[in-house]
Amino acid sequence: MPDMFTLVLQIAVILAVCRMVGSLFRLLHQPRVVGEMFAGILLGPSLLGWLAPHVSAYLFPPSSLGFLSALSQMGVVIFMFLVGLGINPNELKDQGHAAVLTSHVSITAPFVLASFLSLYLYPKLSDNSVSFTNFALFMGAAMSITAFPVLARILTERNASGSRLGTLALACAAVDDVTGWCILAYIVALIRAAKSPTPILMTLGGIVLFAVVMIYGVRRQLRRFENTYRKRGALNEGQMAFMLLVVLASALCTEALGIHLLFGAFLMGAIMPKENRFVRYVLDRFETITVTMLLPLFFASTGLRTNVGLLVGREMWLYCGLIILVATLGKLGGSMLASWLAGMQLKEAAGLGILMNTRGLMELVILNIGLDVKVISPALFSMMVLMALVTTFMTTPLLELVCPIRGTAQEPTTAAVTLAQLGMKPVNGSSA
Amino acid sequence: MGIFSSANRNFVIAYVLLVALPLLGLAGVLRSGRGLVAPISVDGVWKFGADGANLPAGRCGKSLASLQDSLVSISQSGKYLVVSLKNGPPAAGSGVIDGTTLNATIPLPDISASEPGCGGDTMLALRATVTAKAESRSMQGTISVNECPTCSTMSYQAVRQTRSDRSRAH
Repeated sequence: MPDMFTLVLQIAVILAVCRMVGSLFRLLHQPRVVGEMFAGILLGPSLLGWLAPHVSAYLFPPSSLGFLSALSQMGVVIFMFLVGLGINPNELKDQGHAAVLTSHVSITAPFVLASFLSLYLYPKLSDNSVSFTNFALFMGAAMSITAFPVLARILTERNASGSRLGTLALACAAVDDVTGWCILAYIVALIRAAKSPTPILMTLGGIVLFAVVMIYGVRRQLRRFENTYRKRGALNEGQMAFMLLVVLASALCTEALGIHLLFGAFLMGAIMPKENRFVRYVLDRFETITVTMLLPLFFASTGLRTNVGLLVGREMWLYCGLIILVATLGKLGGSMLASWLAGMQLKEAAGLGILMNTRGLMELVILNIGLDVKVISPALFSMMVLMALVTTFMTTPLLELVCPIRGTAQEPTTAAVTLAQLGMKPVNGSSA
Repeated sequence: MGIFSSANRNFVIAYVLLVALPLLGLAGVLRSGRGLVAPISVDGVWKFGADGANLPAGRCGKSLASLQDSLVSISQSGKYLVVSLKNGPPAAGSGVIDGTTLNATIPLPDISASEPGCGGDTMLALRATVTAKAESRSMQGTISVNECPTCSTMSYQAVRQTRSDRSRAH
């Protein structure tokens, strides 16, 4: 049984610190989510544990962290469902060659550069329980991800989600995330299969079969939710509970198949009906508890695993700098080059590259999976978390400097609406 | 008339240069990386036991003897280690592994506070040789009080706990 006093105290402290730091970051014109990510780090061994180890030990005793982590994982399961919900394949069509080229290069460039960097980092930051292939593939997937929600949030704030740059960025980010998650699923399956009696081919076959059943079978049944919403303008509690149940069932299936809970939740969101109002409705119902309570717990949980103190000496900081440099060069540089070659103006191409370099929360989700399956070490995890923070933090000021896009108020795309809300603020609402 | 329009041709060329060729490069990197050697894995929880019947009797001897059957947690990042006593003080020690040689410092167990001449900022020095057989790991070496030549030294051996060992312990 959890010590309820400790658990409730932890939740209260985390929420208070996340709200405070999030508000401070709003003053710096940063999305609140960036502040909350930062707050998580402050609560961990990097600051609180370093400045006041006894307070930290009282507030976050090791025996209590399992409950906090379980709660936060529930939040991420729902979050991934909502991210999947925001991905609308219809809005990705008709983007032309520019989108295809840019999205593919924005994956391959950071992926390949990360694998080159892995040649240098593997002997220094990994151990022989991890194969080089798994290490390099994970680094590639982690560096090629884009934080779809934060990106949409930034675009919506600028009324630019309907602009050419905005739609292209959202389309590319969606392709990147789907591809990144597929690669990650493959890596996790490989790693777990090595420790499981089930042959890898059976695991992969099971995953493909599950995806086919979901896309061609379950997807049709999910239209009933949309039909009910259309007729009644709302879903009753029983229907909402059933929707949550199917998300959890899908998450359990992917976990049982040897990948991870989050893949199932993401896939269920991706195959949900995409009618604009329905998506907004579902999002509104899930958003409050997820965004205001469960995600801050995830940030704190990540922060408690992040220890900047592990970066001892110049050598470790050099590795960290290299990671940030390679991640930025691959993502920002790759996207910029591809979109420029595809006919975009240089400034606009730079803007797209900057937007694509936003990693945010999605990166943290991936890194936590990597640490769980032990494909990355604690020090590398901390470096990658810093990379996620730096690349997300730099987006807004860089964009303002290089390509200060400002659109006119217009009806944003489904993805933009959904993910802007996930990015902690309603599209037309007040400050979150 | 060619099959491709000029725009399509440019797209194909750009795609080959920016996507297909880098993917070939990735295949090359994965192939060449297979030969790389990373430090031996020592990450996990280790159960310590004194080697032989000679438990230390000198200064800090009680503290060293208390490590008998204790669990030590090692968190590894490449050659760098963070070493802490399970159920011990919140502070952790650090270390490195070089080949099969492990050198680390760990904080004194809580019992040291009651032992004269022990406690405070004193750390224990751990030196060991790691033996690896497939997934299983063991090590053999000495634990002494750091920077105290007159203090006790204890020979020990340790075995890395498997997941089932740890669940049995609970």
